[in-house]
Amino acid sequence: MKKSPNLIFHILFLLLLISPSVFSWKKDEFRNCNQTPFCKRARSRKPGSCNLIATEVSISDDGDLIAKLIPKTQENNESQDAPVEVDSKPLLLTVSVYQDGILRLKIDEEQSLNPPKKRFEVPDVILDEFLSKKLYLQRLSEEKIDNDLGFSSVVYLDGDYEGVLRHDPFEVFVRERGNGKRVLSINSNGLFDFEQLREKKEGDDWEERFRSHTDTRPYGPQSISFDVSFFGADIVSGIPEHATSLALKPTSGPGVDGFSEPYRLFNLDVFEYIDESPFGLYGSIPFMISHGKARGSSGFFWLNAAEMQIDVFGTGWNAGQDKIMMPVDEKRIDTLWMSEAGVVDAFFFVGPGPKDVIRQYTSVTGRPAMPQLFSTAYHQCRWNYRDEEDVFDVDSKFDEHDIPYDVLWLDIDHTDGRRYFTWDKVLFPNPEEMQNKLAAKGRHMVTIVDPHIKRDDNYYIHKEASDNGYYIKDASNRDFDGWCWSGSSSYTDMVNPHIRSWWADKFSYGNYVGSTPSLYVWNDMNEPSVFNGPELTMPRDALHFGGIEHRELHNVYGYYFHMATSNGLVKRGNGKDRPFVLSRAFFPGTQRYGAVWTGDNTAEWEHLRVSVPMLLTLGLTGISFSGADVGGFFGNPEPDLLVRWYQLGAYYPFFRAHAHQDTKRREPWLFGERNTELIREAIHTRYMFLPYFYTLFREANMTGTPVIRPLWMEFPAEEETFSNDEAFMVGNSLLVQGVYTQRAKHVSVYLPGEQSWYDLRSGAAYKGGKRHKFEALEDSVPAFQRAGTIIPRKDRFRRSSTQMGTDPYTLVIALNSSKEAEGELYIDDGKSFEFENGAYIHRHFKFSNGKLTSSNAAPSGAGGNRFSTDCTVERIILLGLSPAPKSALIEPANQKVGVQLGPLTIRHGNSPSFLTIRRPNVRIEDDWTIKIL
Amino acid sequence: MNKKKKIGGLRRLFEISIVIIIGCICAITRSAAAAAAKDDQFLLLLGVSPQDEDYYKGLLSSPSSTIKCKDGSFKFSTSQLNDDFCDCPDASDEPGTSACPNGKFYCKNAGHIPFSLYSSRVNDGICDCCDGSDEYDGKVKCPNTCWEAGKVARERLKMKIATYQQGVTVRNRLVEQAKLAIAKEEAELSKLKNEEKILKGLVEQLQERKEQIEKAEEKERLQKEKEDKERKETEEANLKEKQNGEQVESSEADALKNDIHDKIGEQVESSEADALKNEMHDKIGLLGDSSSSQDVMEGHGDSESEAQHGEFDVKEESPIGDVKPLQEDSLLHATEKEEQLTVDGQPGLDTGNQAEVEEDNSESLSKEELGRLVASRWTGEKTEPQTQEVSSAKDKNHGTEEEDAYGEEYSGYDSEEDEHRYDNNDDGDNEDQMDDFGGEDHDDSSPSYKSESDDEPDLPEPSWLEKIQKSVRRIFQAVTFFQTPVDKSEAARVRKEYDESSAKLSKLQSRISSLTHKLKHDFGREKEFYSFYGQCFENKQNKYVYKICPFKQASQVEGHSTTRLGSWEKFEDSYKVMQFLNGDKCWNGPDRSMKVKLRCGLNNEVTDVDEPSRCEYLALLSTPAVCVEEKLKELQDKLDMMNKEQPTSHDEL
Repeated sequence: MKKSPNLIFHILFLLLLISPSVFSWKKDEFRNCNQTPFCKRARSRKPGSCNLIATEVSISDDGDLIAKLIPKTQENNESQDAPVEVDSKPLLLTVSVYQDGILRLKIDEEQSLNPPKKRFEVPDVILDEFLSKKLYLQRLSEEKIDNDLGFSSVVYLDGDYEGVLRHDPFEVFVRERGNGKRVLSINSNGLFDFEQLREKKEGDDWEERFRSHTDTRPYGPQSISFDVSFFGADIVSGIPEHATSLALKPTSGPGVDGFSEPYRLFNLDVFEYIDESPFGLYGSIPFMISHGKARGSSGFFWLNAAEMQIDVFGTGWNAGQDKIMMPVDEKRIDTLWMSEAGVVDAFFFVGPGPKDVIRQYTSVTGRPAMPQLFSTAYHQCRWNYRDEEDVFDVDSKFDEHDIPYDVLWLDIDHTDGRRYFTWDKVLFPNPEEMQNKLAAKGRHMVTIVDPHIKRDDNYYIHKEASDNGYYIKDASNRDFDGWCWSGSSSYTDMVNPHIRSWWADKFSYGNYVGSTPSLYVWNDMNEPSVFNGPELTMPRDALHFGGIEHRELHNVYGYYFHMATSNGLVKRGNGKDRPFVLSRAFFPGTQRYGAVWTGDNTAEWEHLRVSVPMLLTLGLTGISFSGADVGGFFGNPEPDLLVRWYQLGAYYPFFRAHAHQDTKRREPWLFGERNTELIREAIHTRYMFLPYFYTLFREANMTGTPVIRPLWMEFPAEEETFSNDEAFMVGNSLLVQGVYTQRAKHVSVYLPGEQSWYDLRSGAAYKGGKRHKFEALEDSVPAFQRAGTIIPRKDRFRRSSTQMGTDPYTLVIALNSSKEAEGELYIDDGKSFEFENGAYIHRHFKFSNGKLTSSNAAPSGAGGNRFSTDCTVERIILLGLSPAPKSALIEPANQKVGVQLGPLTIRHGNSPSFLTIRRPNVRIEDDWTIKIL
Repeated sequence: MNKKKKIGGLRRLFEISIVIIIGCICAITRSAAAAAAKDDQFLLLLGVSPQDEDYYKGLLSSPSSTIKCKDGSFKFSTSQLNDDFCDCPDASDEPGTSACPNGKFYCKNAGHIPFSLYSSRVNDGICDCCDGSDEYDGKVKCPNTCWEAGKVARERLKMKIATYQQGVTVRNRLVEQAKLAIAKEEAELSKLKNEEKILKGLVEQLQERKEQIEKAEEKERLQKEKEDKERKETEEANLKEKQNGEQVESSEADALKNDIHDKIGEQVESSEADALKNEMHDKIGLLGDSSSSQDVMEGHGDSESEAQHGEFDVKEESPIGDVKPLQEDSLLHATEKEEQLTVDGQPGLDTGNQAEVEEDNSESLSKEELGRLVASRWTGEKTEPQTQEVSSAKDKNHGTEEEDAYGEEYSGYDSEEDEHRYDNNDDGDNEDQMDDFGGEDHDDSSPSYKSESDDEPDLPEPSWLEKIQKSVRRIFQAVTFFQTPVDKSEAARVRKEYDESSAKLSKLQSRISSLTHKLKHDFGREKEFYSFYGQCFENKQNKYVYKICPFKQASQVEGHSTTRLGSWEKFEDSYKVMQFLNGDKCWNGPDRSMKVKLRCGLNNEVTDVDEPSRCEYLALLSTPAVCVEEKLKELQDKLDMMNKEQPTSHDEL
């Protein structure tokens, strides 16, 4: 019997192993609003409790409208929410006006009154170029609104808008000039509150405790909150990152259940996040866009990097308390914005179209960078491709199965003990040779470089960083020491430009031993993730360069890390090679530095489903180059799910498959011949549309308009589209609908607009403005080309996008009811910055009156450099042309070519035939016309 | 010579055609291409494989100017053949260009192996065919490397053929041996079955006889008791007067008491263990969901009996001293763990998984422990410092348990191996078996089994059955039935004979069942894998030793701990792969499993072990058992072909 204890123990252990769902999202590990004093406090305030009024309103020497906010002297406001604030000093309010109708509102403590500390304002996000577009105010006019006792000051905005500062009650809003209709406003509900910094008094307990962690909070409470109203709005969207719907559900107000938490913006590494949650994930963008049928879109952006919580109020939230005088006849969505620290630095965007709002927002925070062509193709990733043999094996299997891919990724275990910039000598003895071998086939590699630096004195990065004092400090001013992948780690202080520059140098070929020009970088864990920190991140009282507390800039840390890495790659290539850096954490401006993905998702249908609103939201907030891990990071997708994910993921702007180390291998060929074929087909679809995608990336780069778009961005007047986040537009020409259920038989698709849509598979036309029920085909998700558009494609497949450079184009012309169509094509060298000097081709195609014309869409004199290509058009497919012509005439060559019937996509055996102009072989860069005879 | 000239001529034509094709691709006018096409049939047949050549030539020589796609879906004119525009969905109009995405391009690769490329490789700037024929648009210049590359390939092929040639011989011998051995074993089996029948009869007779004797003895005893009682009663009166003899008796009683005491001690100990066990049971009941706790109960039941069994064996032999410390050690660990659980509280009220338990603790963990703990969520690894003790205990536990469980099985094989060896003395691989099944991996339990197998050799002695039969006959002759009082020596003889015979019988039966079990296995189409039975093949990779025992199991040994990678499942992929399934469960993953790919080689040797997917292992085993003749022929044909297709240019060099 002596063995029994042994056995019992064994059994117990087995039991622990067997238990289902050993891990899942740990709600308790993260603070909710009630556990977050500033949030709880702000949320409990009642409308109208703000007692500030604007005084001393004037135009400053800098051409701004300035004013002081002071409490109303008359203490008739007996709201218990506003205790007697002895410390209350006047706040300084500044309104600045910029081109394109942008109004900026800043509210901060008066520096002349010597507050205990200068509050943190986020640098390095707003473009200098934007600042240079400031309009210097010359004068302001005053008027009385409604029955106000005091005046309101009015300034003119670009376009037909006006900015209004209402003195008493204090309120700032933007309105249309002619009719006085409000667009958006701040403090209309009187929820504005600003906790001013003060000296600590005897008996003040400023510490905050959460679980085993204590936040010393040496500067005490300093939160800011206010309400923002979007007028004429049916929906609001934006403020990523949350795994939830595109149109944000109300979090407060009557009938709100389940969503009682506000949307949280606090960059966190959340293990196995769940879908349908307002919980904050890896990145934060405090930018909200509204949209309504009546007026259009507007946007509000608060540049603030501290923890933020945002409530969206449901209709009737303030019923019975509506002391505020607001136009009642208008539809409106009220929101409450709360932040732990920082200043008010808010931007009002007037729209009026959705694309206008994004253009305005990205004029402040920057347009998305132009990616390298290869990075818009397919990426293959796994934690971990173990060794060089594994890499070669996977690489050759892609060739064996004729599946193209462009990039192979290496996760943390390629390094020597998770010391980034190093290689495991046993597993990767010849990294350069390995990269060169892949590069010979036009392929690239990506290695991971995370911000946690292993505290190992023999590790040169650690040595330099600790010797030079480059690490973030803890509250007692020692190098902060946290736990992450590399064990005991410290984090370089990327807020300091000097340290960023040092970091950037680490990417030079000389410093990053084993790197080659075909190697690019992945930044993970940059929230930053600290396994043993509060909420798995850095303590808020950690200290950055200049004595800034981590709480003040938490959400921007990952952005700086991404920026430093991206700059490193630019430096590495002497400014000639566009960087590619994928980041998990993000902040406004991230779009200038690279791509992001939605982090550690799960192989579940619901995660496939939620990927679409998540990516659409990122696009709306400037980050157009984004994707979700195809297949789901955690867990093992059933083949059906994996195939559907590939079919949908092929339309993600960033298209990468990734998997956790515990999952079964899931390279495309591992699920039987049929599934291999389906996945190959999905990946081929992406390669076929690469010219179109690249053109869209350029559009994003020029205007901010995202690559994938909510339907309402293209059909802003169709209410039916407002809550639709199952389908999306790729550019203005393609509509894609995911299939989100197992063994789906049918898919219901709403096709918006008045024009028809052509099924990408069958070429059949379907009426717009209608919901259609389609059979769910195994071989693709429903996708349609909008009538009236021309899409450039490359129908030949290669090993990678690199070999497609000289392949000929196919143009697919989908005619609308007036037999017209338009489209564009952008081409450049795909990798350098020469396009910035005009070295690109931008064509505009127009079909009307039976004639296709290609003309130059690039502005004349766009720079001295030229890009040229010998590429031709091998095929033009005409959808929706009823008479059957036999030939076409090419001008100016005055040459006849045949018109015959051909398939819509050549690789499908029995697809129906459409009119095809065979081998016109016109050069893509030339002006020409082709007349149907 | 004639042939050579012709090839040279074709070659020239080919070169011309390349020039023309380049021209054709660059040219904008279709007519130029058409004209070029008409000029040269060879151009039109670019990328066509030999078996398709006739198809295209036939089409080109036919009077009609239109051709049907191979799938019949579409028609195209001769000018559209290889004109760099895809007309046929099945790619049959573009065998030589990249225009059709699903086409194939045939490179002749004279001097090397001909190859069909995906059309996506044609003119993509990368040299794929060693003859360079896939890159003809002038973007890159591909040198012809076929002869050099072919030389290497041919050498490799030659070596492979040599291996196969020898391998085939070895395999044939294996097949012969296997057939003989199986026949022998089948014969033995039927013989044994016969003997079993006879022996069974004898044992039954003996048992009957024994029972009769016992009955008689019982009767005698009762009689005696009765007599004793009577005698006692009569003596009782006298007894009182003779109380002096007591002292002697009491010392006897003391001895008895001590004995009892010992037994009680044992009982107490075991009841303590039982109590602990019960406690754990209760906990488990709370902790687990119904299904898992059921599993556990079952497991428990099994292991309990094993444990008892083990203890029994140990008692028979003597190396208790070796075993005990380990047990105490693990007992200690278990108790510690138990304490840990109870101290930390709520072990069962949550869902009971480790994570939850740890989670509850995390507030009190050191920063470092917390970091490790959280990291472990992503990795599914154990968190070292916190659970180090626990996991080491577990490992040990695991190890011992496993040894218990498999020790038994191994020893079964041991005995079989002993016999096996008699059959196949010439087979050198038996050394491996000795290593594999020797004492090294089951130190505590093996001695007892060893002793058992030491008994074994008396089994196959030829005349043993007759001997038994004889002696039984003797017994029956000698013993007069129903004799009272029972002849003590006769009774002892019967008992001894019975015990011996039934022991023999059970050994016989176990041999029958093991033989039956063995012969039930699938040893391959020609029983070529027969010799794998009872063998294990090892491979060392860093700190792990992988052990593959066909028809049994695969495991990974690291120091003293063994992880089961799977139990024998079957051959698959027409005997090219061995599959082991349902190994130990992986944390957060599937049950471990292993596939062993078989390659032709002269020795049985595990050449590589890999874990391509977490907990799914893949090994390569080279063995003569798969060196089949057909494949050898195939390889020889391939070599012949390669030798034949030497490029003429090579001769000229």
